[in-house]
Amino acid sequence: MVTWKTYVWIYVALFAFATAQVAVEFAGLLESAYWLAFGAIIVLSFVKAVMVAGWYQHLLYEPRSLTYLLATGLLAALALTAAAAYSIT
Amino acid sequence: MSEKRTDGGHGHGDGPDREPDGGAALPAESVESGEHGLPPLSSVRRWFVTTNHKDVGVLYIVTSLLFLIFGGVLALLMRLQLFTPGEALLSPLAYNQAVSIHGLVMVFWFLSPFAFGFANYVVPLQIGADDLAFPRLNALSYWLYLASGLLLGVSFFQGASFAGGWTMYAPLNVPAFTPQIGATTTVLALALFVVSVTVGSVNFITTIHRMRAAGLTMRRLPIFTWGILLTVWMMLFAFAALLAALMILGADRVLGTTYFAATTPGGSMLWTHLFWFFGHPEVYIVFFPALGAMAEIFQTFTGRRLVGRKWFIAAMVLVALQSFVVWMHHMFLTAINLPVKTLFMATTIGISLPFDLMVFSMIYTTIKGKIRFTTPFLFAFGGLILFIVGGITGVFLGAVVLDYEFRGTYWVVAHFHYVMVAGVTGLVGGLYYWFPKITGRMYDELLGKVHFAIYFVGFNLLYFPMFLAWGTPRRVFDYPPVFTTWQQVATVGGFLLGASFLVMFYNLYTSLWRGEEADATPWRFASTAEWAVPSPPPLENFPGVPSYDSGALEFREGATAHADGGVETDGGHAIEGEHASHASIWPFVIAVGSLFGLLGLSGAVVPGEGTLNPGYAVVGLAGLAVFGYGLLELVRESFEGPTGPFGESWPFDGVPNTKTGVWVFLASDVVLFGAFIGSYLFVRVAAGWNEWHIVPHNSLPGLINTYLLLTSSFAVVLALVFAKRNSRTGVVASLAATFLLGVGFLVNKGIEWIELFHEGEWLSTSIETSTFYLTTGLHGLHVVIGLVIAGWMIYRAWNGAYLDDDEPIELFGLYWHFVDIVWLFLFPLFYIL
Repeated sequence: MVTWKTYVWIYVALFAFATAQVAVEFAGLLESAYWLAFGAIIVLSFVKAVMVAGWYQHLLYEPRSLTYLLATGLLAALALTAAAAYSIT
Repeated sequence: MSEKRTDGGHGHGDGPDREPDGGAALPAESVESGEHGLPPLSSVRRWFVTTNHKDVGVLYIVTSLLFLIFGGVLALLMRLQLFTPGEALLSPLAYNQAVSIHGLVMVFWFLSPFAFGFANYVVPLQIGADDLAFPRLNALSYWLYLASGLLLGVSFFQGASFAGGWTMYAPLNVPAFTPQIGATTTVLALALFVVSVTVGSVNFITTIHRMRAAGLTMRRLPIFTWGILLTVWMMLFAFAALLAALMILGADRVLGTTYFAATTPGGSMLWTHLFWFFGHPEVYIVFFPALGAMAEIFQTFTGRRLVGRKWFIAAMVLVALQSFVVWMHHMFLTAINLPVKTLFMATTIGISLPFDLMVFSMIYTTIKGKIRFTTPFLFAFGGLILFIVGGITGVFLGAVVLDYEFRGTYWVVAHFHYVMVAGVTGLVGGLYYWFPKITGRMYDELLGKVHFAIYFVGFNLLYFPMFLAWGTPRRVFDYPPVFTTWQQVATVGGFLLGASFLVMFYNLYTSLWRGEEADATPWRFASTAEWAVPSPPPLENFPGVPSYDSGALEFREGATAHADGGVETDGGHAIEGEHASHASIWPFVIAVGSLFGLLGLSGAVVPGEGTLNPGYAVVGLAGLAVFGYGLLELVRESFEGPTGPFGESWPFDGVPNTKTGVWVFLASDVVLFGAFIGSYLFVRVAAGWNEWHIVPHNSLPGLINTYLLLTSSFAVVLALVFAKRNSRTGVVASLAATFLLGVGFLVNKGIEWIELFHEGEWLSTSIETSTFYLTTGLHGLHVVIGLVIAGWMIYRAWNGAYLDDDEPIELFGLYWHFVDIVWLFLFPLFYIL
C-alpha cells in the first residue's frame, strides 16, 4: 500500500507542476512558441491528473476494470471533441 | 436435438419438447402486509414508500403507459390536422408544440421507462438478486421520472410548451425564437429526466455486474438482461452528453449565455454534435431492451435456444460500441466537411452488419424451432418485421447523396417510426409475456390477437404511405394537395393504431381481476429464473440463495454474510440487528422538491428583461428547501440494501457495491465535464483559436485556487489515513481543513468574478465569457456539493463515525479528487492558453 511519504511526495510534485505551468506562461513561451507551450502545459495537466487518480484515488491498487471504466468515459469525451472540431469546415 | 441451456436457464430436459423444471410448483409464499416495513399492496401509501424493485417496475410500466396515451393523443391531433391540406384545427404554434412534445414524450417519457418497468421487475429475478443494488435510488429514479413528466405537462400552461421540434435544433431553441417560459420548462424537465436516467444507469450497472448468482457468468446471462446491461452502459455515457447540452441550453435560456445564439461561431453546429452524440446511441438505448425481450420471446415460443446465441450477444456489444461513432450521419445537411461525412457514412454502413446477424439469428430460430403463435410471439415477430423495414429504409439515409434528397422529408418520419415502433412492438410483446408473472393472472388470448391484428394493420396504414408520400416536408402543419390520399390513409391508420390500445387496456384490466390464475410458468419453454418463482413472486424473490454452480438453477439454504465484509447501504446507515425496512418516503419528497425547484427556475428570470420574477423565485426556493430536507432525511434514515454474498461480480470483484456505484457515476461525470470542455474547445476552434479573448486578466487567482484544491485533496487523503489509525481528532481536523480550503477556493473565485462583473464581463457579454463562467461555474457547483457532503461528514466524524468504517471517507475522496482533476484542466484552458 501507499505510505505517508508517497502521499507527501505526490503533493509536492503536484504543487511543483502547477507552478511550472504558470512558469511556462511567465517565461514568455506562449508568445514565442505557442503550440510547444500549449503541449507542455497540457501534458503537465495530464501527468497531474494521472497522479491524483493513481495514488489519491488509489486506482493503481484497484481492479484494472475501474481504470478502463474511467478511460472509456475519457475516450468518449475526447472522441466527441476531436471529431466535432475536425468537422468544422 | 439436445443441448444444454447456458443462458441462465434452469431446464434439465434434453430436447425442444422437454418440460422445464421452472414450471415445478414452488411453495407459494404469501406477501404479508407490512413485510419489511412496507404497507400492503392495496394501500396507497405502499406505492409512495416502496423501494422494492417489483413495485417500482409496476410503477414504471403504469406511468409510461399513461405517457403513451398523452403522446398518442398529441399524435392523433396532428393526424386530424393533416387529414386535409389547409386544415385549421390547430394553430401553427399548437401544431409545432404537438409535434415537438409528441416526439419528446414518446422517446423519453414512454419508450425507455416502459422498458425499464420490465427491467426493474425482471432483471433482479433473472440474475438471482434480491433487489437492485441501491433500492432507494431506484425509487428516486422513478419519482424523478414522474416529476420530470409532470413538469413537462406544466409547460403547456406557461404560454406554450417547446415548439422547436423534438431535436431542439439551435438557434430555434433559444429565447429569440422560442421565448415562452414553457419552452424553458421543457428543457429543464428533460434535464431532470436525464438525472433520473443517470441514477438508474448507475444502479443497474452495479446490480448486473456485482450481484449475479453464483455460476451465472456473463456468457450465461439471459438475453433480456444482456439487452438491459448494454442499454444502461450506453445510457451512462450518451445521456451525460445530453445533460451537458441541456444544462448549456438551460443557461442560454435562463442566465443569458450565448452558446447556441445564431451569432456564435459554430453555435448551432455545437448543438447538433452534442444532441446526436447522445441521439444515435439513443436509438439503440430504446431498441435494445425490446430486442432482448423479443429474443426471450422467440426462444420461449419456438422452444429453441437462440441460434448463434454468443454471436448474437457479440453483435449487440459491437453495436453498443459502434453507436458512439455514427452520430454525424444525422448532420449530412449541415456544414460539416466532406471527408468527415464520408467517414461517418462508412461507420453507419458498418453498424448495419451486426444487426443483420441478429435479424438472421431470430429468423433462423423460428425455422429451427416450432412456433407457438401466442400474442407475445406475434408482437415479437411483428416487431422484427417492422425493424427490418426500418433498417433497410435507414440505409438510404446513411448514404450522403441520398440523404441530401431524403433529409427533412416524410421518408425520415416513416423510417424512424418503423425503427422506434419496432421497439414498442417488441415491448408490447414483453407486456403480454410477463403479464402473468407480474399479476398472477392470464390475459385473454383472443383479445390479445385482436389487439395485434388491429395494431399491425393500423401501424402499417399509418406509416407505409409516408414512404410513398415522402416528398412531404416533415414537421409542417400543411402539405401539397397531391399527397392528400396518402395523408388520409395515414390518419385512418393512426386512429386504428390508437384503437388497438383500447383493446389492450380493456384486456389487461379485466384480466387483472377476472383472468385465469397463472402458475409459476405459464409458458411451456420459458427457462429464465423469473419463471422459477411463483407468479407474482414473493417480496424476497427466492426461497433460498440462487446458484447456477451445478449448471442449472438451484436454491440453497443461505447465509447472508457479506462478501465484502460489510453491509451495503445506499447512503443511509444500516443498524445492525434491526429489522431491515424497505420503505422510504424520501425519494418521493426529493422528487417533489426537484419538481418545484425547477418550475421556479424556469420563470425566475423574466425573459428579455433579466429581472427577477418573485413568484417563480419563491416557488423555486421552496422546492430547493424541500429537496434539501428530503435529501438530509434520506441520508439520516436507517436503510439496508441487499447484503450478499453475491455469486458473480465480474469485472468488479472485490469492489463493494457503493464504491462501484461511485466510480460508475464518476465515469458519467467525466463525459459531462468532457462535453462542457469539448464545447468550449469547439467554439474556440470555430471562432479561430488565436482570436479568442482570455477572460481572466492573469493566471494567479487560478494558480492560487489550484494550490487550494490540491491541498484540500491532500487533506482528504490525510482524513483516510487518520481514520485507519483510529484518530477521531485527526479525521475531524483533516475534513475541516478540506472544508476550509474548499471555501477558500469559492471565496477566491467569487472575488475574481465580482471584479470581472464590475468590468462589464457578464455571462451574456460574449461567447468567451459564456464558456468561462459556465464551465468554471459547473465546477464550482461540484465544489459546493462537495462542501455540503464534507460538512455533514465533519458532523458525523465529530460524533465518532468512520473509525470503524472508513469507506464513506474513501468514497467522498473519490468525488473530491475528481473535482480536483477537472480543475487541473480548467485552470490552464481558461487562464493560461
